[in-house]
Amino acid sequence: MTTFELVTLDETAARPQALGGRRVLRRLRRNPLALAGLIVVVVAVILAIFANQIAPFAPDHTNFSAALTPPSAKHWFGTDELGRDQLSRVLFGLRVSLSVAALSVALSLVVGVPLGLAAGFYGFLDPLVSRVADTLLAFPFLILAVGLAAILGPSLGTATIAIGVGNVPAIIRITRSEALRLRGLDFVAAAVADGASDFVVLRRHILPNAVNTLIVQATVAAPAAIIGEAVLSFLGLGIRPPNPSLGVMLASAQPLFRDGPWLAVLPGICIVIVTLGLNLLGDGLRDALDPRESPR
Amino acid sequence: MGRYVLRRLLESAVTFVLVTIVVFVGVRALPGDPARALAGEESDPASLAQIRKSFGLDEPIPLQYVHYVGNALHGDLGRSSRTGLPVATTIRQALPVTLQLAIFAVVIAALIGLIAGVVAAVRRRSAAEWAANSVALLGLSVPSFWFGLMAVLVFAIAYPILPASGFVSVFSDPWQSFRHLLMPAVVLGSALAAVIMRQTRSAMIEAMSTDYIRTARAKGLGGRQVIFGHALRNSLIVVTTIVGLQLGALISGAVVTEQIFVLPGFGKLTIDAVFTRDYPMIQGVVLVTATAYIGINLLVDLLYSVIDPRVRVGGAAL
Repeated sequence: MTTFELVTLDETAARPQALGGRRVLRRLRRNPLALAGLIVVVVAVILAIFANQIAPFAPDHTNFSAALTPPSAKHWFGTDELGRDQLSRVLFGLRVSLSVAALSVALSLVVGVPLGLAAGFYGFLDPLVSRVADTLLAFPFLILAVGLAAILGPSLGTATIAIGVGNVPAIIRITRSEALRLRGLDFVAAAVADGASDFVVLRRHILPNAVNTLIVQATVAAPAAIIGEAVLSFLGLGIRPPNPSLGVMLASAQPLFRDGPWLAVLPGICIVIVTLGLNLLGDGLRDALDPRESPR
Repeated sequence: MGRYVLRRLLESAVTFVLVTIVVFVGVRALPGDPARALAGEESDPASLAQIRKSFGLDEPIPLQYVHYVGNALHGDLGRSSRTGLPVATTIRQALPVTLQLAIFAVVIAALIGLIAGVVAAVRRRSAAEWAANSVALLGLSVPSFWFGLMAVLVFAIAYPILPASGFVSVFSDPWQSFRHLLMPAVVLGSALAAVIMRQTRSAMIEAMSTDYIRTARAKGLGGRQVIFGHALRNSLIVVTTIVGLQLGALISGAVVTEQIFVLPGFGKLTIDAVFTRDYPMIQGVVLVTATAYIGINLLVDLLYSVIDPRVRVGGAAL
């Protein structure tokens, strides 16, 4: 029993110091850009969740007498060719975009992290998992999405799966290299010597130390997922009209370019603001989570 | 060196085989009967059987796979079920459009990305770094297709100085080709430029703090020599990797860009093939894309074993 404690003590001593949540928050607070990003993201999430309550009109409410009116006090974002209020449609579209982003990132983590851990921890699995990741990587995201859309039919689910699956190789590679790096460290060797099962080693020692890297990767993947959804919907492979999505709105705005430029400009600016917010937050988190970065 | 090259070649070959299987099985998982699609309106059982026979659709699936791979290796990708033309010919016609677009885009992206990255790394905490960072962030946050739409709105509709669509080959009329491809290439290259800039910046910052840079400075080398001869050279490894890794994004981006600017390239071919259920075409397009991708990644890895001797000595690719 005494030896057990001794080893445990040793193990904590050699463990690379992961940053605590509070310290990360404090570092984030000192970074005005990251803070701005956080605020943008929080506001966007609130707007998306309460779109029902906030939107001045129903997203599919048509009013032909007010078709194609430029932005005004009544319709902040103007109306489209059917007289639908664009602000309301943007709010509901935001809901679609954010859900796709969250679900697809979750999907890629659920699939990619176990595979990456297995490949990094068990050398004999590495060639197999790495080849699978390479095979997935051999299909450019859009080609993969196009294929999936052809098999499953264009829908929101298809878009989510395509974006999620497209992210899996990156997650596998990152988790794998973290697992490889950590496996060689003393505190993991100590835990193994301690008689800890593989599962315990992976869950208690390797995964927690890889979390920071994964968080950073998730903040890279989320804005990319929002853009991915918009692209797929724009090409007609994602959510189908008349359901509002920011990509669908842009696609239907293209033929009305001359008569209603605001139809293409405003939803696009919304996408830019949200992805910019996520990118700023992600950068801030990366700096805050990086122990090498000196606190500013 | 020889062993490393051999290993990478073998890995690529395995990936290639897996890709052909995925493509083959994936296309067969598509809904709809290709024979029926080919036959069109007059689909009596006899003509359906005839079509199945002539396209080899009546053979057992594993045999179809063997034939498919065998033919593909000879450059025969079958005939389009929509136009009846050989898939390989159609792809060969579309490819130059996409290649010219992609090469132009990569050149623009590399120029902007490298210059901005070096400036941001060398002039730290200056207005130049701030500006470069902001533009890079914007490049990553603006969806390229929306950027494309806005570019058309400004440069083709509001101030009509560039054509909004169409393609002219660089070999037939360089100036017109430049005018037609400038907007699409900038749109396609913008995200890549941002990624290159960021990676160059961080690689340069890291390189500038290493011992060998200090040694170079201590030897009395000038700032310019240190930056370009030592730090940038090492940062190029990162950039080479990025271009390899971003190739998929570039191909995806090309699909969208071609759709916006109505360029008759590979991407448009892909989308059209999916919407018309042109099985042989989808199969061919995906196979060519994946093969090109594997090939270029192999090339990138081998290139970096030349640039960075550690890779081939350690035998560990990133």
